[in-house]
Amino acid sequence: MSLLGWCQWLEQTPLATAISESVWLFPLIEGTHIMALPLSVGLMVMFDLRLLGLAFKNGSTARLMGDVVRWSKLGFAVMFTTGGLLFMTQAGKAYGNAFFRAKLIFLVMLGLNALVYHAIFYSRMAEWDASGQTPLGARLCGALSLVVWIGVIICGRTMAYQF
Amino acid sequence: MTSLLLWISNARWMVYIRDSSFGMPALQSVHLVGLTMLLATMLVLNLRLAGLTMMDWSLPSLERQLRPWALGAIAMVIASGIIMFLGNPAKYLASYPFLFKMTALSLAILFQVRVLRRLPVAEAGSRPRRTDVVVAALALTLWFAVGWAGRAIAFV
Repeated sequence: MSLLGWCQWLEQTPLATAISESVWLFPLIEGTHIMALPLSVGLMVMFDLRLLGLAFKNGSTARLMGDVVRWSKLGFAVMFTTGGLLFMTQAGKAYGNAFFRAKLIFLVMLGLNALVYHAIFYSRMAEWDASGQTPLGARLCGALSLVVWIGVIICGRTMAYQF
Repeated sequence: MTSLLLWISNARWMVYIRDSSFGMPALQSVHLVGLTMLLATMLVLNLRLAGLTMMDWSLPSLERQLRPWALGAIAMVIASGIIMFLGNPAKYLASYPFLFKMTALSLAILFQVRVLRRLPVAEAGSRPRRTDVVVAALALTLWFAVGWAGRAIAFV
């Protein structure tokens, strides 16, 4: 089965049709997807601002990351669940949509960015807290995350205008 | 007042924003990025008030860190919101979710400012009192009610 065929099949599954046919399920899931933005993306952006030296400057980076990640994990769990359900109901239309494709590429970039940060910088955060200096590479990770998350929001909002 | 609103909603620049293919998505995107930042600052502040995160920050110092971002974000949502409203004032004034949203927004801002005034009480590491938890829960309920009401404008 082609990828497009799979998307069209997904749209016809009982779960997807139940969501599309219900008067209140789609708005509820879509609303939840948007209301989870502050808890997921918003908190990650707070940490990006710390890496860039734009907020929380006189606190510990490592502790801030712990505080932020504990709550944003919950936000992202809601995001991916509701996002997956929304995709199911409109998978065929989403497949060919340029903004949806850009959003997926952006999300992959953000995942890789997080992996790079974790592999290279995560274990050294205590050192920067002592020196007060965030390395250039970590600042770049923060800048990339900040900009690309804004791109994800723009793509997510704009794709809905094309359905 | 009505004729002024009508005049603005029919002005050439407004028609251009409203009817071009990118005008509304662009405004909505600004509105959503602002919402994300604004509600994230309110989450951090109120979760701290409830003693659930950021315990190595005192409330006043946390509030100082968040203030420029909260003010910038509220400027983004209000500016983009006003332009969207002016594009179709009759639709919004007739919408119950919109009227509810404006009421909840006014209450949320008033309530949050009241909360901020009491901030010096809590120091870094201090445990929240029961009233702090109630105040934080009420503030967040109000802020998220604004967001839900906004989403409901499109559906009701």
